[in-house]
Amino acid sequence: MIKVLTGNQAVAYGIRLSDVQVIPVYPITPQTTIIETLADMKADGTGDFEYIRVESEHSAMAACIGASMGGVRTVTATCGQGLFLMHEMLHYATGSRTPVVLVNVNRAAAAPWNIWNDQTDSVSQRETGWIQLYCENNQEVLDSTIMAFKIAETVRLPTMIILDAFFLSHTSEPVEVPLINDVRKFLPSYDPQEMWLDPDNPKTFNSISMNNVYMEFRWNIQRDMERAKQVIDKTHEEFETIFGRLYHQVEGIHLDDANIVIIATGTVASTCRVAIDNLRAAGHKVGMIKIKTLRPFPAEEIIAALRGIKKIAVIDRNFSPGSQGVWAQEIRSVINDLSDNERPQVFGYIAGLGGRDINLKTIEEIYKQTAKNEKPEDRDIWVGVKYVLS
Amino acid sequence: MKHTNREVQSTFCAISTTSSLENKTGSWRFAKPVFIDRLAPCNQQCPAGEDIASIMYLAGQGRFEDAWKLIMQANPFPAIMGRVCYHNCETKCNRSNLDNSIAINIVERFIGDYALEHNLKILPQIPDQNQHVAIIGAGPAGLTAAYDLRLKGYQVTVFDANDQPGGLMRYGIPPYRLPNQIIEGEISRLYDIGVLFKQRTYIKDKSDWDRLEHDFNSIFISIGASRMVDPDLKGNSLKRIYHSLSFLKEINQGKRPDIGDKTIIIGGGNSAIDCARVSRRLGAKVTLIYRRTITEMPAYMEEIEMAQTEGVEFIFLAAPEEFLGTDRVKKIKVMKMKQGQPDESGRLQSIPTEETFEINCTSVIISIGETVNTEDLPSFLAFENNSLKTDSNGSTSHAQYFAGGDLIQQPHTVTHAIASGKRAGLAIDQYLSLSNNKHESSKTISFLHKKSPVNEVISYNQLNPFYFINKSRTNSHKISLNERINTFKEVFMSSSQKDVIEESQRCFVCGTCTECGNCYVFCPDFSIKKHPSGFGYHIDLDYCKGCGICVKECPRGAMQMEFAE
Repeated sequence: MIKVLTGNQAVAYGIRLSDVQVIPVYPITPQTTIIETLADMKADGTGDFEYIRVESEHSAMAACIGASMGGVRTVTATCGQGLFLMHEMLHYATGSRTPVVLVNVNRAAAAPWNIWNDQTDSVSQRETGWIQLYCENNQEVLDSTIMAFKIAETVRLPTMIILDAFFLSHTSEPVEVPLINDVRKFLPSYDPQEMWLDPDNPKTFNSISMNNVYMEFRWNIQRDMERAKQVIDKTHEEFETIFGRLYHQVEGIHLDDANIVIIATGTVASTCRVAIDNLRAAGHKVGMIKIKTLRPFPAEEIIAALRGIKKIAVIDRNFSPGSQGVWAQEIRSVINDLSDNERPQVFGYIAGLGGRDINLKTIEEIYKQTAKNEKPEDRDIWVGVKYVLS
Repeated sequence: MKHTNREVQSTFCAISTTSSLENKTGSWRFAKPVFIDRLAPCNQQCPAGEDIASIMYLAGQGRFEDAWKLIMQANPFPAIMGRVCYHNCETKCNRSNLDNSIAINIVERFIGDYALEHNLKILPQIPDQNQHVAIIGAGPAGLTAAYDLRLKGYQVTVFDANDQPGGLMRYGIPPYRLPNQIIEGEISRLYDIGVLFKQRTYIKDKSDWDRLEHDFNSIFISIGASRMVDPDLKGNSLKRIYHSLSFLKEINQGKRPDIGDKTIIIGGGNSAIDCARVSRRLGAKVTLIYRRTITEMPAYMEEIEMAQTEGVEFIFLAAPEEFLGTDRVKKIKVMKMKQGQPDESGRLQSIPTEETFEINCTSVIISIGETVNTEDLPSFLAFENNSLKTDSNGSTSHAQYFAGGDLIQQPHTVTHAIASGKRAGLAIDQYLSLSNNKHESSKTISFLHKKSPVNEVISYNQLNPFYFINKSRTNSHKISLNERINTFKEVFMSSSQKDVIEESQRCFVCGTCTECGNCYVFCPDFSIKKHPSGFGYHIDLDYCKGCGICVKECPRGAMQMEFAE
């Protein structure tokens, strides 16, 4: 059934369909309408889950981990400052191998205070060991929320679904809401197997691990992150079988004849689709790649897609101070595998921080600048930044 | 590492199936929590030594019989005391720091009445001894001593000059404060357990005392203060000038002295107020004159207020000078007083001005105090400050003789009298045990698992009031003003069981563990467990790290940290 939903509502619908048993919550703009919608669902009886209001995001994630160890399916939502506050617990969720799902609405980092779209919050959690999936529209948000549980529980790594602040969270789009019976076929109830606090089979989890075993546990995480690449692909295919919509970790458009490929994520990818249509109509040989996964980073697909491409323009709505945009950094690092004549020139653009608009004009500017220069002027090119002459 | 299938020699993540009990975290400790008993301020205030905090706890649980038994260990007359005790315990109640103090008096009255309604009994547990104790004076002190000693197995005989036992409880306190059937019910227990009463027996001559010394192993004297103080004024032999003691005695005997339609009460104590309120019920207009002001009046404020509501007129800074009249008193000449410096009691002195005035009346009731009638007592007993000299246990200068009540040096209240009776009971028991073979002492019943007592009154800041919700004190209810002025019906009505339970549940039970379980819930090491005996909690010192959370979260301050090791 098609409903007009905001991104946040789509999240709540996805959660309600997914037989989640415990939802610890703490509000933060622009995620709050996710948990408010869930509260309404609980209140009117259409949602059946334990709803626990905690006193901070750190506690929310701690409660998720505890619930998961108690043997139930669990989820929470946050953004920006809330994700930062959870940071310690994100590492813990990974190390304890609890398949917690987190929905993060990409919001800029304070200080100064800014509640609008920026990827800095999620990309700066790259090292925590969470699977990260970025969505470009509300349909993808709802679908990815359901898929997240399946992926997380298969590889036993916590999974983050990411959507853009306000552009998705508060924007209404028509969304096909799956039927509960179909979701049940796709996503069975959570089976913790032996990884839970069973009073009949008492175990202690995550106690002291000295240097003789710790590294092996970390190796296991990496191994399962690698496995996750196949698992994500397989999950996408299964999803298509039942629901008819196919998603990709790396989606290439018009790559075969492109001189320049624009690489985008989130809603920027959505805008990019229209931009390249316009550019191509004007005769430009331009293509695009949308990347969905940041972790595990789809190195092989990127390498394969970019082999022989002359120039790429990576749009980063984030920045790692003292280095470069994170998507650009990831890409530069994997395409090192390519030989010199196969490896594209990477133009890394920083745009849209703190919710500054990235529209068709922005993307066209990016394209023109990439086309004009043989090599990038700098490792990071800041788009539309007003310079103050000292 | 492309989608590898290589396996590594380890478990999936850190999992342990061995017990963590191996790790005795108690070894990390530098301080440990202990359960203690701190003295609740109400307990400390009660002259009779009632364990009020525990009594409130039991009442709050609806365990009225247990609460009654606990009261009876200190005070055998709860139904009486729930009506006449001046309840100083309430003034020190820690709950007043949160909202209002507990209405301990109301709860005690309910428990006392409950016991009477349900005919509850306590029987002597100790076999009868062949030792005899004489009690002289069947007032609260004598009766308490009699009750205590009888339960310890002694043969007890009470000698009393009046028709009925009860002393001032029966003959001094008017029925609208203390109905007769309550006194009858409470005293009947003494008859039931075998105390012998010899009423209308006046012990006063040397031959009387000699015979007592011969017939009894020990003698407890509690004859009270029965000599009325007279102001010795001109005209004091006129008719219709009464003294409070005899006036109230007649009222309590069912007589109705003739006071006419306008009576003047002289005095400021509770007896004066009693006389005033009784006089209103006899249909008279009543004026009470007192030489100082309301601030210095020794009467209970509650009583003064009720007298005022019942229409008693008060004239302060007024002292009687002369009674005027022929045959019957018709007028009183009163000296106007003014206030000077404080005297030894701390109250401001009253100094006469030169101004006098006169008040018409048809009767006068003098209520300026009573003293001890020393003539009736053995001459070899020492006296001091017009009281029989005793030590803190009630022993006199003579080994065989003990004393208590208004006869000895202590505040003249029923509560203090009961306390002195209880103390003397203990002293006499010890005296008689030493001179003869030991017998087993009666066990005190404990209803709450008392840990080692700490000799310190618990203050409000030692509690954790977070666990208590604000709730106002229950109200007592009075009969209508019309009924009050026109009848001798009991003024205060009974409270309902529901109200009493709710009121008792407001009690913090300061300083005593009630096994609320907070410590058990909060201990992060699962180191607070139910004691194997089933009584109370104990700390598992193998694992207790001494974090002190239990001590902080104990609502009633029944724990403390010890740092010695």
